[in-house]
Amino acid sequence: MKKHICRNPVGVSKYTGLLLILPFAVGAVLFILYPFVSSFILGMTDYSGVGGAEFTGLRSYLDMLADSDLTQAAGVTVRYALILVPLKLTVSLLVALLLSCEIRGIGVFRTVFYIPSILGANLAVVIMWQYLFKSSGLVNQFLGVFGISPVSWYGDSRFAMLMIVLLRLWEFGSTMVIFLTALNSIPREYYEAARVDGCGRVRAFFSITLPQLRSVIFINLVLQTIAAFQEFNAPFMLTDGGPLRGTYTLGMLIYQEMFRYSNVGYANAVSWALFAAIAAVVGLMFVLLRRKGEDER
Amino acid sequence: MKKIFSKAAAVCCALALSACGSGSRSAVTPPDGKLDKCTLRFSWWGGDDRHEATLEAIELWNELHPDIGIVPEYGGWDGWTEKVSAQVSGGTEPDVMQINYDWLITLSPDGTGFYDLGALTDTLDLSGFGEDMLSFGRVNGRLNAVTVSVSGRSLFYNSDVYARLGADYPSTWDELLALGEVFGREELYPLDLDIQSGGTAWYLAVVYIQQKTGRQFISMDGTLGFTEEDIANALRFYKELEDAHVIRTIQTRTDEDGNAALYQSAEFIGGKIAGVLEWGSTVGKYEAVLGDGVLEAGPLLTDGSGSSGGWMIKPSLLYAVSKGTKYPDEAAAFIDFLLNDEQCAQILGTTRGIPASRYAEESLEASGKLRGLAQESDEQLEAVDTMTVSPYMELPRVKEYCNSAIEKVSYGTSDPDEAAQELSSSITEYLEKIKK
Repeated sequence: MKKHICRNPVGVSKYTGLLLILPFAVGAVLFILYPFVSSFILGMTDYSGVGGAEFTGLRSYLDMLADSDLTQAAGVTVRYALILVPLKLTVSLLVALLLSCEIRGIGVFRTVFYIPSILGANLAVVIMWQYLFKSSGLVNQFLGVFGISPVSWYGDSRFAMLMIVLLRLWEFGSTMVIFLTALNSIPREYYEAARVDGCGRVRAFFSITLPQLRSVIFINLVLQTIAAFQEFNAPFMLTDGGPLRGTYTLGMLIYQEMFRYSNVGYANAVSWALFAAIAAVVGLMFVLLRRKGEDER
Repeated sequence: MKKIFSKAAAVCCALALSACGSGSRSAVTPPDGKLDKCTLRFSWWGGDDRHEATLEAIELWNELHPDIGIVPEYGGWDGWTEKVSAQVSGGTEPDVMQINYDWLITLSPDGTGFYDLGALTDTLDLSGFGEDMLSFGRVNGRLNAVTVSVSGRSLFYNSDVYARLGADYPSTWDELLALGEVFGREELYPLDLDIQSGGTAWYLAVVYIQQKTGRQFISMDGTLGFTEEDIANALRFYKELEDAHVIRTIQTRTDEDGNAALYQSAEFIGGKIAGVLEWGSTVGKYEAVLGDGVLEAGPLLTDGSGSSGGWMIKPSLLYAVSKGTKYPDEAAAFIDFLLNDEQCAQILGTTRGIPASRYAEESLEASGKLRGLAQESDEQLEAVDTMTVSPYMELPRVKEYCNSAIEKVSYGTSDPDEAAQELSSSITEYLEKIKK
């Protein structure tokens, strides 16, 4: 049998492919692999940012067990993730459902809803949030219209957490876009067939839309959980982790240990612990999803 | 592919290990006594008044030394320590830096973290500084930095609000407490204290206890001087100020200002808060947001029986040169200009406090510019028996412990005795750890 040889149509050598991925490979080594490895090594030293470092092995990891600040920060981070992630997925999905309607000018609405995601927790947004949530802010004025007494948004740790959740919730654009794309890819025939069979909209949502979105919901769940566990910007800019460390996330703890207290070794060890925790949570999600899939088969 | 990955990882390991070794930084460039053509980076923090004056001084430098360019890097105090720490850690710090007192401990614990300015006296004239002034910047016998000014915190009040209420500036602790009632009637406050990066709440409480007991909170060699009882009394004093409506509670303050600095808050600018405890060297930013002459210095508080000690001074700022600079002579010449040049002194005025350099001080005195709040604060502090702030008191971790204790007492989650016990043991443990 004659062996068919596929000739390169543009006549490039076999090394061209490697050359093409070289910029990415160099970037990945410099900005991902190198920090990744050096962070692990630094986590096993007492490096303070200046001078030399001594190898301390797992001491920083053992110190974590007795660090009450870390325990508190871990609690705050988990609580934050548990509140934010389900809320954000729900809101994103509901808005995506609205924006999937075929109405005139829908592109404008989609753009407008996406804009907050571009802003992030930058200074302008923080100033806007202050105008909204400080004691004489617009939110308290609005609540006052209904006879509700002013809420201590910044001064009460429960409300401070809620304020940060609201900021991130407001930035639901990227999650919503993923849902929207998935919604648009569900064949219309499913809904038409269901309608012929007398199925209502609510039933269609639960029996067609949600099952069809399962993998996308899972992707969004994973992405948002990772982002929530890594939260730093919003509490840093809005509350500086207060009051009473009620919004002091693990991201803030790592930053402060690293840059404010020059405890570089410990900060890197905590980063790795956080990485391991996120990997464990995401791994658990994958296992549960696979098990559910097998049960359904 | 696996082989490539494992080799890359091995190279990364080697690089990472070498990066945290002491020999990772380039060798120190020795001085050659000449001023070559170059560009220097210069960083500082401060308020707008300081920024504007410094930029003007740089323009003058550029006229006098067109071959030596200066790239300014400046901003507010919040986050500045973190920024410079990261730069020093990565070896990317500016050639010339305005540094804070405690950075000598954290960034140069053995005296080798900054360039030894003692080796640059060909271009840096130190004859205008007394030995006591230079000693602030020495670590292990090496001159790591030169003091720009010595400053202390004083009390400054909004004269319009005080006049409207017919209130006098307090001169004793009791008078301060009594003002709470007068101001409270109109929902105003005679003073503000914070637990942000300034940490004025704990500072005033320390002054109060130091004045009462004569003991220094933390000694210059880094030993906790306060007893647990002293700390508990300091926290009780703070709570008394809140309860007497002299200052806002932490919760009220946070709700009203968010995370903003006091001088940027509507409450201070609008006169609801009529007093501030601030360094003489940085009070300009508070002065600038009120009308001309509105902010006035009040007396340093005493117990009324003649005891006026306890107030503190420290080198408010120092100039240092990066140990990695390639232009040590030029950097030293620029520092000399900032510290000693008469024309520069006229431009900078008292935006960094009363100059520690005799030449700059004389220049300002001759031109009648040695006045204003910074000078008043300086004179007040000279008139009392001050203590020098220990650099250990300025350490971010120590400040965090103190601010946290104040916050817990303010919110009522700890009583002063519990908070004092925790604070005392935390500080003692930490000081022992960093002095090892």
